[in-house]
Amino acid sequence: MSTTSHIKPISAPDVNVDELLSDAAAKLFRNVSDFDAVQAAEAARWAPTVWKAVAEAGFAWIGVPESAGGSGGTIADACEVLRVAGAHAAPIPLAETGIIGGWLLACAGLPLPDGPVTVAPGRPDDTLTVTVNADGSATLDGSLHRVPWAAKSDVLALFDEASGKVIAVPNSAYTTDLLTNMAGEPRETVTFAAASIPADAVAEAGPQVTTDALRNRGALSRVMLMAGALEAMLNLTVDYCEVRQQFGKPIGRFQAVQQHLVWAAQDAALTKMAAQIAARQAARGDARFEIAAARSLANECASTATRQCHQAHGAMGMTQEYALHHLSRRLWSWRSEWAHPGEWSGKVGRFAESVGPQNLYPLITAGSAHLS
Amino acid sequence: MRFTPTELTPAELELQAEVRDFLAAELPRGTYEPALGMGADHDKEFSKKLAAKGWVGMALPKRYGGHDRSAVDRFIVVEELLRSGAPIGYHWVADRQTGSVINKFGTEEQRERFLPIISRGEIGFSIGMSEPDSGSDLASVSLRATRTEGGWILNGTKIWTSSAHENDYFICLCRTTPMEDGNKHQGLSQMLIDLATEGLQINGIPFLDGAPGFNEVVMTDVFVPDENVLGDAGMGWVQNTSELAYERGGPDRWLSTFGVVEQFLASHVGTPMGDRAVQSLGSMVARYWGLRNMSLTVARMIDQGAAPSVESALVKEMGTRFEQDTLLKLIELVDLEPSPESASMFERMFTAATLTGPSFTIRGGTIEILRSVASKGLRS
Repeated sequence: MSTTSHIKPISAPDVNVDELLSDAAAKLFRNVSDFDAVQAAEAARWAPTVWKAVAEAGFAWIGVPESAGGSGGTIADACEVLRVAGAHAAPIPLAETGIIGGWLLACAGLPLPDGPVTVAPGRPDDTLTVTVNADGSATLDGSLHRVPWAAKSDVLALFDEASGKVIAVPNSAYTTDLLTNMAGEPRETVTFAAASIPADAVAEAGPQVTTDALRNRGALSRVMLMAGALEAMLNLTVDYCEVRQQFGKPIGRFQAVQQHLVWAAQDAALTKMAAQIAARQAARGDARFEIAAARSLANECASTATRQCHQAHGAMGMTQEYALHHLSRRLWSWRSEWAHPGEWSGKVGRFAESVGPQNLYPLITAGSAHLS
Repeated sequence: MRFTPTELTPAELELQAEVRDFLAAELPRGTYEPALGMGADHDKEFSKKLAAKGWVGMALPKRYGGHDRSAVDRFIVVEELLRSGAPIGYHWVADRQTGSVINKFGTEEQRERFLPIISRGEIGFSIGMSEPDSGSDLASVSLRATRTEGGWILNGTKIWTSSAHENDYFICLCRTTPMEDGNKHQGLSQMLIDLATEGLQINGIPFLDGAPGFNEVVMTDVFVPDENVLGDAGMGWVQNTSELAYERGGPDRWLSTFGVVEQFLASHVGTPMGDRAVQSLGSMVARYWGLRNMSLTVARMIDQGAAPSVESALVKEMGTRFEQDTLLKLIELVDLEPSPESASMFERMFTAATLTGPSFTIRGGTIEILRSVASKGLRS
């Protein structure tokens, strides 16, 4: 509603995201990540023009300190750019290059490459073994699954929990297959055959890097992408229902159709709010509750809103010629990435169990702050 | 539609801590049967104590005995009361809506007469809207008020009037001018009526679970003096449509079954939960967190002078459905044949919530009406 657009956040001056950043990101993604670009990326397994524009604007490295070769800004800034990227179904490893992989490299003091970075989300069937040799080099064997755009990435940033090292694995050290997710985005199996990584690409991870911290960043990135995609999907659906006429009037005038729109709007609004709060909290530090809760909500909302929006679109939404599938297929994919939905709701449930009934409501109001 | 995340300021967090301390002292867990949100018992003593803390009539002006507090401050107090299942029934309606309606539309004399006692928690209001043939279509009310010397004579029946048998007044929507040319929004007025007035009869209608709270109010030649017509006669529709527009998205619309969820967790203390139970609990806790943040944003928007009617409708629609969903999730997880007389508090609360649950998505505007309101402002 335009009447309420003047509302400003009451507090959180420490981590407020500048609206200029959102606007700039929206402008860029609207221009480069359009229908044709997203459609073409699926066939080509890459979107060079989208990547080039995003990289030139420095958007890929927001949230990574300038001292480490990044663009600076907070993780909340980076999250806002991810949300916008999600709204435009941007087919590039933006989070992997920035707040996940870029963060890993920066924490370990390893250089950022000019091109994309990818990160393995850690699947149960991964078979990778890491051997850190006496001279500081590392030897990698086995495979990692569902690695986004591994073939097109300059570096795979790897955290080896056992040795506490971050390894900047060059593209030349691995081979990839042709797997994709449900949206046609590369999620490749990366295979190593006694790959030797030189010592200057292996470094101490530093105290910030833990498997939990890594997974939380991965989860947060998917929450942001989903929040953007849900909002874009709602707008697309509302527009369609205003234009599409049946029985002599726009289908959006029918209450049965309005119901789909209202439910999708709730899912979009709920996810966006959860995502922005999780991002705000992540910029301050411990956000384990907010990220898990936001992820649980986003997963549920992605499932219900895709159903509502597809139903409102009828057969129109079932073709590759219309943009809905760019969003719905990504939502179906993202909800399962960086651990499945049950793991995130289970995490929230364990937090609740750990604080007990008397403190359940304080946990809901204070979030992660109540856990520490 | 726009929800900008907000959060509590340090001063607001202090208020929250104060309310929690008060409730921990007044209502230690295990010493009372927690109510299901706003469907709480009347406890005049509790209402008075709360008022003494300055937590009734918070949003009303100081010069009428209120406290000039913000919508967010009221939100903080109300969410703690509701999640604790506190006995707020006596002052609830007056505090949530009648007070602000009188403040907004009433005459100066009405403000001076009613707002101080509302703020002291010394008056219970019922709402007289529905009639046997008039529910969601509020403008179709037909209860007739006829002009007489110094006031109006009312004849007709109001129905589903919660707590009329134990409240002092009710705010009654009636028709002061016959409908002309089908314009049903004209000629409606609201009256502040003493429930002890001669000619006014209250007949109990047992609620689905056997509780007495529902009523039929039959009026036979009830005289209402002019000074009890809310503001100007004929303005009833305008008063009514603005009345609840912003109050819809409050914590009372998503906390009704919180106590049941809390008791579910309490029943697991000492025994680790299985994966399925913990995932289901986590999904509910995440949604409480998300809904609370949306609801808090609505309160913040009210304080900033916005008109979040679409946002409120959206939150209420999803909040009340969620209240019902929690019960569906819980019944999947527990092996019990629910009984209202059970020795287990969880089971008693679950039973009560299931029996009254269908009302969550009906009272104060059905979800069908809310969807219609929300659909008018969906663009984000």
